[in-house]
Amino acid sequence: MSERDPDAELVAGVGRQEPAAVRTLVARKLPRLLALATRMLGDRMEAEDVAQEAFMRIWKQAPRWRGGEARFDTWLHRVALNLCYDRLRAHREEPADELPDAVDPAATPDAQLEAQSREARVRAALAALPARQREALVLNYYQELSNIEAAALMGITVDALESLLARARRNLRAQLAGDDLAGTRTSR
Amino acid sequence: MTPERFRAIVDAYGADARHWPEAERAAANAWAAQHRTEADALLAQAAQLDVWLASDAAATDMAPDAALIERVIASAPDNRRPREQRQPRRLSLTWPGGGSRRAGWWWSGAAFAGVGLIGGLAGAFAVSFFLVTGNPSPGPESSYLTTGFGGTAADWSEE
Repeated sequence: MSERDPDAELVAGVGRQEPAAVRTLVARKLPRLLALATRMLGDRMEAEDVAQEAFMRIWKQAPRWRGGEARFDTWLHRVALNLCYDRLRAHREEPADELPDAVDPAATPDAQLEAQSREARVRAALAALPARQREALVLNYYQELSNIEAAALMGITVDALESLLARARRNLRAQLAGDDLAGTRTSR
Repeated sequence: MTPERFRAIVDAYGADARHWPEAERAAANAWAAQHRTEADALLAQAAQLDVWLASDAAATDMAPDAALIERVIASAPDNRRPREQRQPRRLSLTWPGGGSRRAGWWWSGAAFAGVGLIGGLAGAFAVSFFLVTGNPSPGPESSYLTTGFGGTAADWSEE
């Protein structure tokens, strides 16, 4: 990797237990970790636990961190995702890329759907996605990782990533079907 | 850029070109500019979903609360205490010329070596003593080999 890691200097400071470096790293990474874990788990409290655990790994790893092998941000995403998958497995959600049969948004009463906020409905639709599709979408769309970074992080090819992304978007559209995606009523 | 590839890009990455593969972004934009009607139809469908996804961004990407931030910072090793209080608790033995952070370790090592040295000297002294006298005492060994009824080298009669 020829590109310089933008976090390398900061991580070195954390490794030296410099309080300013610790604060800066927390300010830079905690919101991203929290957003990632919240979307993967669909639960803010669990996401906070994951974020704290991820930072414990950072404190442990920082003194030994060697730049050039992987970007720190990529490593951190992998750590957080592994922690998320540990929790998803505990909830019996295996990393799959097929939509589970149980998901049937049409079964949700209309009145309840209407009561949900737009954000909550998107969150529910994201949570209903198979974990691997959700991971691909979260990494590429929300975490704004490049396709190459996201594919490497997931251990798949870019083609496989694109397939997951396309299926995720198709499933989301289906989940949210019946609602006017642009905010105006259209025929179903 | 082919129409099929443009469609595949939009299907996977959405309508926002910022999410498109960097290596293909310019070509895809150029293709869209040249095929406006076809491109707009594809982009419009993807943009609807992007609007929804963006609405979750506003809700989920809110700043972490201050208590969580402080908890995370507090979990970092020793970073809240002033540097002089961060030294591990050790026996405060230092050389007169100035403190040594490794004094505790050094002293425990020296004590260990000292015990070994004393043991060695004691052994050497005993060996040389026997060599000089040339008559090592039968000592406890002979008494050990006898029974209590056969008499011992030690005389306990007075007790």
